[in-house]
Amino acid sequence: MNSSDGSDLMDKIAMREGEQGNNNIISQSENQSENKISVNMNFLDYLKSLPITSRIISLPDNIIMASKSSWRGRERVLAAFAGVFLASLVITTVLAYSVGLSTAFLQGALENDVFDAQIAFDEDPGKDFRTNDSVVWESVCDELIEIEGISDCGIVYGRQGIRSNSIFDDSNLKAQPLVVESVTASIGDWKNVSWDYPEATEQGPPINDNRPIRFYGDGVWDGELGERHARDILYGAWPSNHVDAENNRSIILPSQIASRAGVSINDTIDSLTFTFVTDSAGGSSLEDISESCLGDVEVNFDSGFQFCRENITVNNLKVSAIYQEGQFGNPTLLFNPVIVSDSVLDDSQKLILMDNDHGYLGVSVDRNLLPSSTTSAATSWLNDLEKTVEEKEYADSIIKVRYNDVISGTILFLNIFLGIIQVFDYILMIPIIILSFSVLIYGLVLSLEQRKKEISIHRVIGGTESNLTGMILLELTVLGFLGWFIGYVLALLSVPLVLDAVGFMSFRSSGTQINPTLSFAATSFVILVNVGCTLLFGRTRIKDFLSIEIDEGVRKVARFKKSRFWLHLGIFVIGGLAFLESWIQSNGGWGPFDSRGIFSNFIVNALLLLFGPFMLWIGGALVLGRLGAAGPRIFTLILGWSPLVTDIRRGLKGSGSSESVNRLAVIMLLTLSIVTLAAVQGYTGTLVDERTTSAENGADLQVQFSTPMSETQARNEILLAIQRVDNSNIKDIDSMTSVGDIFTSPKGEDSRLRTWIVFDGHEETLLWDTQTIPTYVSDASSLWRNNWFTAGSDARSQLGLSSSDIDNFITIEYTDYDFSFGPDGLDISTTVTDANIQYMGGHRWIPGLEPTQSSQVIVIGESTYRALVGNQTANSYASNKWFFELCNQKDRDCADALRELSTEVSNVIGVSSSTDWPTVHEDNERKGGLIFGTPGLLSLQFVVASLASVASAFVFLSLVLTQRKRELAILQAIGASPNQIIRLVLFEIMAILLVSMGLGVILGLAIAEAFNGFFGIFGFIFQIFLGESAPIDRELIWPWFDLVLVNSSVLFAVVLALLFTTRKALKSDLAIVLKGE
Amino acid sequence: MKIKNNIILEANGLFHIYESKAEDGNVVALRGIHVAIVEGEAVAVVGPSGSGKSTLLKSLGGLMKPSAGNVSLAGKRMIRLTGKELVELRQKTISFIFQDSNLLPHMNALDNVAQPLRHQGITPKVARAKAQKLLDRLGVGERSRGLPEQLSGGEQQRVAIARALITDPKLILADEPTGALDPITSREVLKLFSDLNKDFGVAFLLVTHNREVASFCDRSLELREGRFIAQHGNDVDISDLSESRELIIDDTGTVTLPPDVLLKLGGPGRFEVPVNEKDTIHLERVENEKIEININKKFILSPICPACFYKYSESVTQLCPECGSSRPMIESNN
Repeated sequence: MNSSDGSDLMDKIAMREGEQGNNNIISQSENQSENKISVNMNFLDYLKSLPITSRIISLPDNIIMASKSSWRGRERVLAAFAGVFLASLVITTVLAYSVGLSTAFLQGALENDVFDAQIAFDEDPGKDFRTNDSVVWESVCDELIEIEGISDCGIVYGRQGIRSNSIFDDSNLKAQPLVVESVTASIGDWKNVSWDYPEATEQGPPINDNRPIRFYGDGVWDGELGERHARDILYGAWPSNHVDAENNRSIILPSQIASRAGVSINDTIDSLTFTFVTDSAGGSSLEDISESCLGDVEVNFDSGFQFCRENITVNNLKVSAIYQEGQFGNPTLLFNPVIVSDSVLDDSQKLILMDNDHGYLGVSVDRNLLPSSTTSAATSWLNDLEKTVEEKEYADSIIKVRYNDVISGTILFLNIFLGIIQVFDYILMIPIIILSFSVLIYGLVLSLEQRKKEISIHRVIGGTESNLTGMILLELTVLGFLGWFIGYVLALLSVPLVLDAVGFMSFRSSGTQINPTLSFAATSFVILVNVGCTLLFGRTRIKDFLSIEIDEGVRKVARFKKSRFWLHLGIFVIGGLAFLESWIQSNGGWGPFDSRGIFSNFIVNALLLLFGPFMLWIGGALVLGRLGAAGPRIFTLILGWSPLVTDIRRGLKGSGSSESVNRLAVIMLLTLSIVTLAAVQGYTGTLVDERTTSAENGADLQVQFSTPMSETQARNEILLAIQRVDNSNIKDIDSMTSVGDIFTSPKGEDSRLRTWIVFDGHEETLLWDTQTIPTYVSDASSLWRNNWFTAGSDARSQLGLSSSDIDNFITIEYTDYDFSFGPDGLDISTTVTDANIQYMGGHRWIPGLEPTQSSQVIVIGESTYRALVGNQTANSYASNKWFFELCNQKDRDCADALRELSTEVSNVIGVSSSTDWPTVHEDNERKGGLIFGTPGLLSLQFVVASLASVASAFVFLSLVLTQRKRELAILQAIGASPNQIIRLVLFEIMAILLVSMGLGVILGLAIAEAFNGFFGIFGFIFQIFLGESAPIDRELIWPWFDLVLVNSSVLFAVVLALLFTTRKALKSDLAIVLKGE
Repeated sequence: MKIKNNIILEANGLFHIYESKAEDGNVVALRGIHVAIVEGEAVAVVGPSGSGKSTLLKSLGGLMKPSAGNVSLAGKRMIRLTGKELVELRQKTISFIFQDSNLLPHMNALDNVAQPLRHQGITPKVARAKAQKLLDRLGVGERSRGLPEQLSGGEQQRVAIARALITDPKLILADEPTGALDPITSREVLKLFSDLNKDFGVAFLLVTHNREVASFCDRSLELREGRFIAQHGNDVDISDLSESRELIIDDTGTVTLPPDVLLKLGGPGRFEVPVNEKDTIHLERVENEKIEININKKFILSPICPACFYKYSESVTQLCPECGSSRPMIESNN
């Protein structure tokens, strides 16, 4: 019989048996089903001619099989899975982090402005498509709100319409706000209130340096715009709607104005006079407006414009609320205006303002619709909105408008800022991504090696190379997607936490709700990278693998790969150079090298510092991995004599040579060095932020008064504020101090020397840093008391001081000028005193004072000061700037209290500014500091790397042990006791682990040092782009506690894994283990 | 019903050498194997451990390329085929059964059996249906959802056999197929083999130590040191092969005597062939040394130059000082 007739053998047997009378019924029924199958087979034979069809039909089943197979073989795929999972987690987190970062920045930046846009007439006054009817103009709002994206709108009388695209062009500078001229009232000290607002032109373009005023129409009081205004209210309440505002004749005052006038809620204002602009000239035109001007001509010398301003007075206003003045953000609508209901203006006044282009529509956009994932997406969304608004014609096609965006200017700045931060953070996260992929690759290699036998079986039963490749790749795809998904979800959940990191491994909710989502493109990118890399690595590995003859697979012949030791060593050496370079630079020179390091060429230096750390890391892990793998041999040498290992010495001989053991060591090195790096840099970064803050703010609270205050006066002001705030965390002033400022001259010289005085007890208030002074603070303080001095770098060169002059004396003179009116008119008498002072060394900055100024001064103690100026002058010392020590600024409750107090103090009359440590610190952490919100990322890196080290130790150990199952079984078969075997394995693995761990931590410390150079490079870039100057050096801090914690938990996990797997290996049937491959 | 004419598998001059860097050097596993298996034939290969049985099986099955020689499967020379063609040829003609069942550990019995068809691109449903029928037939249908580790040794082997049968092979190569089975199960398996063989012409090549297995075969080949030395009939007694042995002399004239024959012969030595006619050879041990070689001669330097008759006397110089010709050696007379 020929078997090629399509029916199968077994059924024929069945038929034959059926003929014999056995199982008659069953075989008949089987025959029927066989027919059916035959039909199917024929149909499928046809389908088979289309291989793709059959593949598609089989696909769901194949996927199920692949999933089942990966689940059943989970031990071997765990490492590969862990790799994909980690990669997905990290990449997603980094991407989502930057999305979240821009969202946070955007939110923070947008909070400064209430209006998102000014809608002005498109044409200049006197031309078409305009109206001077405020009712018609206001009605345009109804049409605007119809546009998707605009959430609220209302008429505002304030700045003139802007018809330009650049903040600094003429048209923009020409558009003037309404400004307050004067206020009269029976209550309050309005005479003393200055309506000058020079900060406005200092912080923005030279438009106007007076306090602006806005009159709000109906639409602004309630809705979205009302809510936004209400947020900033300090005292009183924002009128709930326009009727409320109208009935009360509401005026809302900025906090500074209110505190200077000393008014409170419900106080009335009899009259308020403001000015508007009727005509202007300047810029390119040279026309003179003084003749035609009915009001006053005002000249703005900065912009070169002349304005004709006329007055309007409104009467009988009531203070409804006082709001906290915001930062100087986008200058489009100018800053911190006085706000009044437009109902106080009569129709003729409104008409005048409309005629002079002072009426605009203030709108808010729906910020929920604003894409915050990237700043460029936000920009393009806003551009679209602007286009939509400007394309339309309003009020029966009689009005065309100009949309003046307030947000996008903010965004433009953010774009640059965030770009740099993101590049920095991406680079920072490269190691952890490499780490994930190396776990993935090693996992793949190991799992394939474990599948050798399985693959051989498949080939025996007729699997072609492409079949098998497809099968494994499908399994990897399933694995990849699963790993991606879990990592992705986990990352999205963890990102808000990362963003809330205020320091290394310390998290605090910032209050801003950020739920970053990744765009479809970004998500696809993550999938592509993850699954793509898995498949790519998988494919090459499988190709190598399948090229081994089946027979070799069965015989377990491993081809020896040529070791690339010299390549690894080369990489390691270059990395070592980077370490040395970074160390020499931070050390300020070493041996024959100065502080520029070994390579003085900037490019070479930068390249080395950028790439060196990575090379040190990878090369180091590969080279030192060999040492780690040789751990058992090292330990046998050390402990060989002890009874602990004598009986298992022979068993240890061959250990450490296998490739997987080497890989275990490399992985441990890679992960643990990253853990160390993250911990060290994270801690250092956190401390740098704190130190920067201390250097900037100088103390818990720094208050700048507008006029010099004596200690008692300053104390009383602050005590009053403390009482008003009434926070239980701050009851009293613990200590306060100031830094005196006089001019002296070196004896016998004409040159003047700026001299700062630190008063006794300053160290209790000022937050000194060891980096700034030559010795410890306590020592320096007592030296200052004893007529020693320090000098800044410029002062040193002025005085010709070098380090060899330390302990030398110099004499300085102080000249006191006494003015008196004598018979000859003004009589100036001078008294010259001098003091011998001893040189202590250089200082770099004084807490709370400008670092650039600090370099020009010498700092003396109080006693020297008294000797120079005399006790009388010293006792009546007064200063603009006072520092206060109030509570422990790092404590959370204290921080809140400090913020509250600072706000209160800043509104005190005569206080120009008040800054508190926590706010400055937050600023430094979020945007200012040296490492830009990286504590969160470093914390993440720390956590992920710790997890990776524990997980990979676990996974790789069980793999290594599975591979050694047979060896252990043989040992058992020839008479080793289970105890001996456990000891053997424990000793061996622990030896590898301990050596790898030790080397890993050392490598990590070295990388952290090498990365310091990298941080330095970025610090340089930040300074170029952002003008940030940070006086603090990144001195590395070693967080030993965390390192010990992580390492011991890795050790613990490994011992656990060991006991578990060894036990399992011991329990398994010896015969089966020995018989099987 | 047997069709004995078509040779399904043929090997000529098969050599295989395992390269090794160990001190003893390379291992020659096969030394010139000639074998031909016709359709429907059952052949057993017997021999001691290390005689090259497994290597032979792999070479014959196309799992391994022999170092030299040629294997033809269904008339196609396997050595000439590329990987894919080879696999396709194998898929349709040969199946393997191993001593340890070699099931795929992460698939259940049903999927294990269905897998060969899946490799051929047959849809899962069809493949599974056929697999289930085979498993039912082999009495493990109820265990079809079990993973290999959950099955007993016998069940595992039956699953492995089902897997071998599912492709309707023309030849089954089996390495100790009943080695891990209890006697009753192995009898059932053999019965199955026998049915397949007798009624449907499936050819078998079995490597075995088991008398029952060998007795099911039409003939047994005795393998020693990588060479077939003898053939036995179908009722071979593995413990005493001498009863049924037919020695093989191959076309290079090589013959290897099994140890027991050699022992009976009185050990190695030289033999005369007094009778050498068609189909008969007779050997007689040669006891006496026939050729006496007597080499007592000693060579010394010639005392006289053969060209100019110069007398060298005691001198040991190699060149004649008179004429410059070189000094020859001559036989010494004593």
